[in-house]
Amino acid sequence: MADLNTWQQFWYYLSHNGAYVLSQFSRHFLISVYGVLLAAVIGIPIGLLIARRRKLSGAVIGVANVIQTIPSLAMLSIIMLGLGLGVNTVIVTVFLYSLLPIVKNTYTGMINVDTTLVDAARGMGMTSWQRLTMVELPLALAVIMAGIRNALVVAIGITAIGAFVGAGGLGDIIVRGTNATNGGAIILAGALPTALMAIVADLVLGAVQRRLEPRGKKR
Amino acid sequence: MKQRAWTLLVIVLLPLLALTGCGLPGLAGTGGGSIRIAAQSSTESSIMANMVAALIEHELGIKTELVANLGSTTVVHQALLRGDADIAATRYTGTDLTGTLGLPVEKDPTKAGRIVKQAFKQRYQQTWFPTYGFADTYAFMVTKPFAKAHNVTTISDLKQVAATMNAGVDSSWMSRKGDGYADFVAAYGFDFKRVYPMQIGLVYDAVEAGKMQTVLGYSTDGRIRSYDLTVLKDDQQFFPPYDASMVVNDSLLAKYPKLAAVLHRLDGQIDLATMQQLNYRVDDRLLEPAVVARQFLQDHNYFKGGTDNG
Repeated sequence: MADLNTWQQFWYYLSHNGAYVLSQFSRHFLISVYGVLLAAVIGIPIGLLIARRRKLSGAVIGVANVIQTIPSLAMLSIIMLGLGLGVNTVIVTVFLYSLLPIVKNTYTGMINVDTTLVDAARGMGMTSWQRLTMVELPLALAVIMAGIRNALVVAIGITAIGAFVGAGGLGDIIVRGTNATNGGAIILAGALPTALMAIVADLVLGAVQRRLEPRGKKR
Repeated sequence: MKQRAWTLLVIVLLPLLALTGCGLPGLAGTGGGSIRIAAQSSTESSIMANMVAALIEHELGIKTELVANLGSTTVVHQALLRGDADIAATRYTGTDLTGTLGLPVEKDPTKAGRIVKQAFKQRYQQTWFPTYGFADTYAFMVTKPFAKAHNVTTISDLKQVAATMNAGVDSSWMSRKGDGYADFVAAYGFDFKRVYPMQIGLVYDAVEAGKMQTVLGYSTDGRIRSYDLTVLKDDQQFFPPYDASMVVNDSLLAKYPKLAAVLHRLDGQIDLATMQQLNYRVDDRLLEPAVVARQFLQDHNYFKGGTDNG
């Protein structure tokens, strides 16, 4: 191996462990996605709620802000005390970090909906639920999506740290590379797919977000 | 519009249901029903954990999950006690005897094995399996030309040349009680010209490069093979035995009655040379522990099911 340079070692590694890297890649992706999905399921209704009752917004976003400031390794360790080692701990960590961008963007998206449009909808006799699903949500969707996109990119980074609580994922490969004597190629084999995943996730969700942009508002 | 409301509700509730129910699809270890195997961050531990995992998945069809990269035996032990994991892939008699159990050093490997087996059963309701067949202990090693030139095969043989030798040792070994440097000098009755404490990962390169005439390293390291080093026999049984075994929670063995038989197929199957070779392939040949473990099982016919010719 010593006669190969790092890049040659990197290709050699991929050609011999490709299936393994792929399985860790999908595991990594799923951990991130589930964490963000969970945050979306809980965060979007919270965002809707505080957009309706603005008095709550300061407190809720304040709490989410505080969660965001905790360093990820510390957060992971604290949650590990309760949930133990393994993948659940990482999913909950990702969930907590995803709350802020999702709640905040839902809130921002909702309060930025033109009030005259909502008034018009009310004037047409729409119920509160109809106004939400037919007027407000469609107009706020692009902003909400931007929050989810933001959350997923951060989540992919956090999942990499999950290797420290034994959750697996691409972080596992990186950690192994740091332990090996000449682990440069192994570190790359873990780090490059992680970066690639974050970039692709960002691009794909960006495209989705642009599609959701309300037609009249397109720049 | 009613329909849209319903779809929204379903979309919102489905992931929640999946989470509270039987784990997340495609992600092992989020729900019940999978066996969790704890591995330390060493190459050896990773390989053995992957081997155990592959064997269980293939022979019993039960999903497994690795809880990998754990920092120390203590963390692994806690993980098993808390139920974060059910199987510890590698436990070493010497470490657990003095560290986990707090018992005095026992230098006879058979006796040490018997003590930990009994104590783990009583104190923790865990089964200590028979050793895999290798021990990861401290060992003095020299280059093959040196061994030939000075005709040394045991540590005692070093006595007549030791006064001219530089030795590189693990820095933590210098101050260890019981099997450390001071005790070594007392037990073998000789000292080296100079002893250099260094990081354990560097000792193999140091002796290969001729910077040191002998070094103290781990007996299973893959570099022993890649540098073709000669491991000297500990003829006075100075270093306590570190026979490697797996440890399994009894509750798991009770839950899966067929499990014990499958796990016992690894008893005594991996000797020191084999472990060195497996480590070598991971450390030097850039293969993943998972790949090496699976290959070993395939090469030794573990996947034919039932037959015990492994």
